[in-house]
Amino acid sequence: MNMNKINLALLPLIAVLVTGCGDDGKDGAPGPAGVAGVDGTDGVDGIDGANGNLAVFTVQLTNLTYSQPFSPAAIVLHEPGYNIFIDGEKASTALEVLAESGNPSDIITEAIATTEYLDAIASDGATAPRSIGNVSTLLVPLLDVDDLKISLTTMLVDTNDAFTGLNAADISNMAVGQSVSFMVPSWDAGTEANTETASTIPGPAAAAAGGGGASAGFDAARDDLFDRVHFHPGAVTNANADDASKEGLSTSILTEADRWDNPTSKIVITRTR
Amino acid sequence: MKLFKVASAVALACSSSVLMAQTIDITITNLTHAQNFTPRLVIAHDSSVDAFEPGVEATSALAWLAEAGVIDDAQNAASSGQNFEALLGPTDTDNTSNTWHRFGGLVAPSTTSASYSFDTLDKPYLSILTMLIPTNDAFAGLDSIEIPTTPGTYTYMLNAYDAGTELNDELNSTRTDIVEQDTGNALGGYGVPGVAGVGASPVALGVGGTGVAVKVGFAVDGSAIGANEVVDGTDGPVHIHRNILGDTSLTDGASDLQSTEHRWLNPVARVTITIPAP
Repeated sequence: MNMNKINLALLPLIAVLVTGCGDDGKDGAPGPAGVAGVDGTDGVDGIDGANGNLAVFTVQLTNLTYSQPFSPAAIVLHEPGYNIFIDGEKASTALEVLAESGNPSDIITEAIATTEYLDAIASDGATAPRSIGNVSTLLVPLLDVDDLKISLTTMLVDTNDAFTGLNAADISNMAVGQSVSFMVPSWDAGTEANTETASTIPGPAAAAAGGGGASAGFDAARDDLFDRVHFHPGAVTNANADDASKEGLSTSILTEADRWDNPTSKIVITRTR
Repeated sequence: MKLFKVASAVALACSSSVLMAQTIDITITNLTHAQNFTPRLVIAHDSSVDAFEPGVEATSALAWLAEAGVIDDAQNAASSGQNFEALLGPTDTDNTSNTWHRFGGLVAPSTTSASYSFDTLDKPYLSILTMLIPTNDAFAGLDSIEIPTTPGTYTYMLNAYDAGTELNDELNSTRTDIVEQDTGNALGGYGVPGVAGVGASPVALGVGGTGVAVKVGFAVDGSAIGANEVVDGTDGPVHIHRNILGDTSLTDGASDLQSTEHRWLNPVARVTITIPAP
């Protein structure tokens, strides 16, 4: 009985709140107000919320490597036709920025400008080696769920230009509550020679060797053997550089601990609404 | 409680109508160049069992499997209470959450195992684990796949994981010139440094290596310890193994493993599951 009373008492309050939401329409929020001119786009957003006709997806990245931190990831949900990269073709400048410096913002800006774009977000922070990263949440209109792709890129920051992720992977027609998981390899952006030196690698391994940071990140010059995206051959590192085998790269600031094998990341996508 | 009953009723209905056959056939192919597979742990289980998970610390049971190839008391009495038998319950029994079996013997490099007949007792998921020897703590893992119900043959590729419970020193455990720091224990299996399974390697291991992920005579932080001592540090949680480093010398260099023989690239194993017609 008490519960019922409380519920009844709350009803008018809820009504007031709902009305209040409607009034906010002067900035372009829902329904009728949206029709009024300039702020029409904002109005659409309001309707989406009220009718709940958005599908919600969460994306979570696991770093499978021993010691390569992942930069913040660029995550894009989109319609077919968009590609962050294509094997055997030149990397875009936005991908070069991500793969050399770990900054995902140019990829997101570039994705937003495409007609296939539905939603994009940079993941919350870097993902440490051997760890499960933070959850990112993305929203797309229900109408687009039947033909939906996800692309994701994140840099292995103790490398010249290695990245891992997904390229237009199909996640169409997922049911609410359904999860799919991908174990994915690493690519070489092909935009920077794999010199493994402190002045060309932005991550902590280079910082420990007196380099690293922004100045060691993006460089517009393209000096790799071939300026084309391809599978990464792995880090050579300075291991075994000084023994009789001479297999290592004596000028590398990376150690055997910085090596990896594929897959380098696990990506779990869950539709939550 | 009510919900639970309904769920069981649904599961029961499914089992009578769909899952006529509970016994499946499993083969595992070792795709590596020179790594043997230790006895295979095959578990059919529900969602409450997770034998390993990348990004999550290994259990002592996983450490026993990945460092010494040990699954149950019968293999090694010292593992009692810490191994997968302790974690899961008796073998070939319906332990409610799981049923499991150890398929014994080694699977040699570039060979396929015998066909194992395994009764899943209608548990929905399947995991398979086997250690790679000679390594410190590498294992191949099939990670909770949903067991198919339609008759047919299904193929899965397995990656090599690092259990993260022992530093990859790549030191020959038959060496007597070096011992574990403080304890003075000989190198080898669970809880001590050194690679396990030296004797099974198809090529001879070196001696005199100075250590890869950790150096003989030095602690993890690089400070000096006894010149003949090795530490047994950890490098978890579970992650994809970065591969053997190795070197080409049998008498010196960093590693006692051979870079030309003991390395691999994923995948390291192929598992084939056959669901028989009812």
